[in-house]
Amino acid sequence: MSTFFAEYAWLVPLFPLIAFAILTATGRGAKRAGAWIGTAATFLSLVLSICIAVERLSGTSTDYIRQIDWLQVGEMTLTAGFEVTNLTSLMLVVVTLVSFLVNLYSQGYMREDDRISTFFAYVALFTSSMLGLVLSDNLLTFYIFWELVGVCSFLLVGFWYQKPEAKAAAKKAFIVTRIGDLGLFIALLLLFWYMPGNALDFSSIHNVFGTQGGVIATGITTLIALLIFVGAVGKSGQFPLHVWLPDAMEGPTPISALIHAATMVAAGVFLVARTFPVFEASPAAMTTVAIVGAFTAIFAATIGIAQNDIKRILAYSTISQLGYMMLALGVGSVTAAMFHLFTHAFFKALLFLGAGSVIHSVHTQDIREMGGLGSRMKITAWTFGIGALALSGIPPFAGFWSKDAVLTEALNKSPILFIVGVVAAFFTALYMARLYFLVFAGKPRQDGHAHESPPVMTIPLIVLAVLSLFAGFVETPFNGWFGEWLTGETADHHGSGLVMVVSVAVGLLGVYLGWLIYVKGTISRDIVSSRMPGLVMVLERKYYIDELYHLIFVKPLYAAGKLLEAFDEYVVDGAVRLTGRAANALGRLNTRLQNGQVQSYALTALIGIVILLLAIAGRRFW
Amino acid sequence: MPENIPFLSLITLMPLLGAIIVLLLPKEQSQWLRITGIVFTVIPLLLAVWLFISYQTSMNAGGFTEQYTWLSIPLNNEYEARASTLSLVFDYHLAVDGISLPLLLLTGIVSTMAALASVFIRKRWKTYYFLFLLLLTGMYGVFLARDLVLFFIFFEITLIPMFFLIGIWGYFGREKAAVKFLIYNGLGSAAMLFAFLILIATLGLSVAEPGAAGPWIFTGNYDVLLQNLTDPGAAANIAESQFSLHVFFTDEMKWTAFILLLVAFGIKIPIFPFHTWMLKVHTEAPPSIVMIHSGILLKMGVYGLIRFGAFLFPQQLSSWSTVLAVLGVINILYGAILACVQKEFKLVLAYSSISHMGIVLLGIASLEEAGLQGAIYQSVSHGLISALLFLIVGSLYERTNTTQLDELGGLARAVPFMSGILLLAGLASLGLPGLSGFVGEFLSFLGLFGSMKWLTAIGVLGMLFAAVYVLRSVLNITYGPMPERFTGMKDARFIEALPMVTLAALIVLLGVYPSILTDLMQHGFDGLLEQLQTRMGG
Repeated sequence: MSTFFAEYAWLVPLFPLIAFAILTATGRGAKRAGAWIGTAATFLSLVLSICIAVERLSGTSTDYIRQIDWLQVGEMTLTAGFEVTNLTSLMLVVVTLVSFLVNLYSQGYMREDDRISTFFAYVALFTSSMLGLVLSDNLLTFYIFWELVGVCSFLLVGFWYQKPEAKAAAKKAFIVTRIGDLGLFIALLLLFWYMPGNALDFSSIHNVFGTQGGVIATGITTLIALLIFVGAVGKSGQFPLHVWLPDAMEGPTPISALIHAATMVAAGVFLVARTFPVFEASPAAMTTVAIVGAFTAIFAATIGIAQNDIKRILAYSTISQLGYMMLALGVGSVTAAMFHLFTHAFFKALLFLGAGSVIHSVHTQDIREMGGLGSRMKITAWTFGIGALALSGIPPFAGFWSKDAVLTEALNKSPILFIVGVVAAFFTALYMARLYFLVFAGKPRQDGHAHESPPVMTIPLIVLAVLSLFAGFVETPFNGWFGEWLTGETADHHGSGLVMVVSVAVGLLGVYLGWLIYVKGTISRDIVSSRMPGLVMVLERKYYIDELYHLIFVKPLYAAGKLLEAFDEYVVDGAVRLTGRAANALGRLNTRLQNGQVQSYALTALIGIVILLLAIAGRRFW
Repeated sequence: MPENIPFLSLITLMPLLGAIIVLLLPKEQSQWLRITGIVFTVIPLLLAVWLFISYQTSMNAGGFTEQYTWLSIPLNNEYEARASTLSLVFDYHLAVDGISLPLLLLTGIVSTMAALASVFIRKRWKTYYFLFLLLLTGMYGVFLARDLVLFFIFFEITLIPMFFLIGIWGYFGREKAAVKFLIYNGLGSAAMLFAFLILIATLGLSVAEPGAAGPWIFTGNYDVLLQNLTDPGAAANIAESQFSLHVFFTDEMKWTAFILLLVAFGIKIPIFPFHTWMLKVHTEAPPSIVMIHSGILLKMGVYGLIRFGAFLFPQQLSSWSTVLAVLGVINILYGAILACVQKEFKLVLAYSSISHMGIVLLGIASLEEAGLQGAIYQSVSHGLISALLFLIVGSLYERTNTTQLDELGGLARAVPFMSGILLLAGLASLGLPGLSGFVGEFLSFLGLFGSMKWLTAIGVLGMLFAAVYVLRSVLNITYGPMPERFTGMKDARFIEALPMVTLAALIVLLGVYPSILTDLMQHGFDGLLEQLQTRMGG
């Protein structure tokens, strides 16, 4: 029952921050030494995180909170602080572990890049911000780190800044997520003004919305919950703000694994889990979360089938899986959501790093140009296969257990949500089968000699593969230990045989179908595209969402800008210039009067007298 | 702090002394002129820092004021058949509190950085540094003066050097820009003078010796004005029989003076639609002068609006708070949307300034402690950020001879250091937490949200547009493939890097540790806000 390590939790984000400071100060000169500084700092954080988690696991049940005053306004004090709970300690381990493995992997992947130390500086800053976010004890500190991880993501997406696509993707990532951030920002303002005592810390939020209840009107509660959710939608790439995430694949692949799959995008889910009582207090908000999650899950999965870029397929898969987590939250289960987040972090990081290993070897991202890599990249193929099976929900891999938990919870709430989830699971299995068979099976479709990656890259793959195999056993329908530890509540474990059977069946069906099409060739690949070219086109173009946004947001903004520019120039400044000219003209007129001719002076005087007389006469009528 | 050293006067007059020394130096001695210019810019900064430190340790000890009678003009007593004399008294009254001290520090820092950035001035150094130092005296004076006439004089002192600094050292359209600047601001000053005269002639009436029946004086002393306002008894004691011709401070009078002040300071801030002059200044003035203009001079408007608008006319301000908030929202969105479509980087920054000053207006409109602190914080932060941005603009222009966005690109490869700093400044400008911009925005929005939720929510949209225009322009300059002509370009020299790093460090410091300023402002607002509340209630 000690909090020995928890008291030092602030060191966890500090190590990478120091690494960032060192790397920034030394600049590009650090080269590969810089890479090791970053990796070492993350390793220290990992060790400490594991210590904290072990401490929590060994029965410490009191949460450890420490706060300092950040700034004071009148009577109100805004604090910054950190909090160690079971939930945060779990996240700490996930983030530091994936971050450490990605650091290690990048030693190999980024070896040739002359800005390698800049890369590790950004990764260190990201890791630090993400850990800060996880540890935050209040919504304001959370928001600060939330934005910082966003900016790190922006920097890393645009890391290869000379590529125009990277530049566009970085800009898009920042701006689209900022739409979500505004929602969170307004939610923050609302909470500040409605919470008793202007409290913003999570435990007060839990008290006010959870146990006390009714302190804040339902309408406002719903509004706050929805605005928080807008923030989560932006960060976690949920429909309709998902458009940035696939484009973010322009960044280096280790970054896709770390930020755009395993950690940062999960921050939206984490946010909802952290402020869950607000959602629970508003049925409308819960329904919204569930529907958006379910819709995103199936929506992104369908797009995933029609993409040809290996990283983009995985990106849509991420969006889809985050949809599952939102669905779980929407039907009221933090446990299922966090469980899926936990397993997904491992198998998705594995898949991305595996994809990176492939790209590293064949120098293309188009799966139609790959093939037959299974024999030449054995470790990558095996580990990728494990990741793919985990994602497809095939037992006994981790993804099966967590997806099963999500679907069980969905079925308890609404059969429709359950069916949507199952159909999405089928598509998931199908696109993963397509991806795997096209890349690793069949004959090589390119010359050159693909080769296995160096050990510094394959070791992280193996570690993640092991985790993808076994991480699911912490919570099975027969053993609810994880949920109990996480939420402190003993849930009744109604492991539904139906759900399990259905989910395994659709998973196997998807894989089998993929095998028939892409390996056996029993079913022609063109069977769909030849009969319904329109449908395939819509999927390839991602339902034209990007084009739609361009039409309804970008263009009007540009037009409004141009219109206002003309207004500014001709109306506002025009009035200014007119005033100036009028003064000038008046002066000229008066100059003309001073012409030295007595007659004109007399005329002026006469006119003046008449005006005066009229004025005096006119006064009577006022 | 030693009581007998007149710190405030030293801060104000040191640059003037420097200006005189510059006059005595031969004009060919560019090195000496430059050194003199920098030294006499740094001295007030050091004094201001000392003031800052000693203020922290002895906040409640007082002693941060200097007051002498400056002018005393006996008035014609024929109309008033009274024994006691009537005179017009103007004081040399300088004081500093938690509201002006942050702006004083800002002035010191930005002006020092601008003096360093003046390396790109290539002609007539002597005149340049003379005017530069004169301008500095004016700015310090504005933030320190506590007498209406003295304030007005310092305010005007800033105009003339600015006119020449724009007109002689600016870019191609410099002369037109200078004329527009002078006339527009001259109009503002006229409005301010009118308002000040009303105030002196009505509120300024007081007894020279407290409690005595005379002699009576009209004064422009700010403390007396505030005293007469907060203590209605003081003004009421002056029986009408005593002054048959005296004009009393009626509600109509208050409104007239308030609106005049709003116009006067609104031009300076600038509030839409009075902003077109500052676009010209931003694009045509030399970068070192724009650093001062955007960094400090605009904040004189904010300071004036708070010091004279909010504290002297809280009732008027609170009944017009919606108007002010609407103006603020217009500033934010109008500036931001226009910044999104500009092709010239300096215009992007100019419109962005308009947008950021809108946030300041929201803070003032809230009449809440959080909002007012936010307004000042945002002023300081915007001062640092825009100074940094224009510093980089100057250095970039030296190398590329253009600030047109479509002629730039790929500079991250050519000048990585400067590009990195530019990106940092841009991120600060769009309000990234951890950098100073966020704190000011957050506090302003927080303050206003209590009373005007919808307007705040609309204003928050400005944060989104800020991301659009900042990233659009900064990425256009630094990202993308590098054109041939930029190969072999040299990154920042030490003399350029020094102010860049300093400003960047301050921006980070204020973002991470805001208490360093907010505690100060808190102290400044402490008593004043309670007064405001009671007066608005009564």
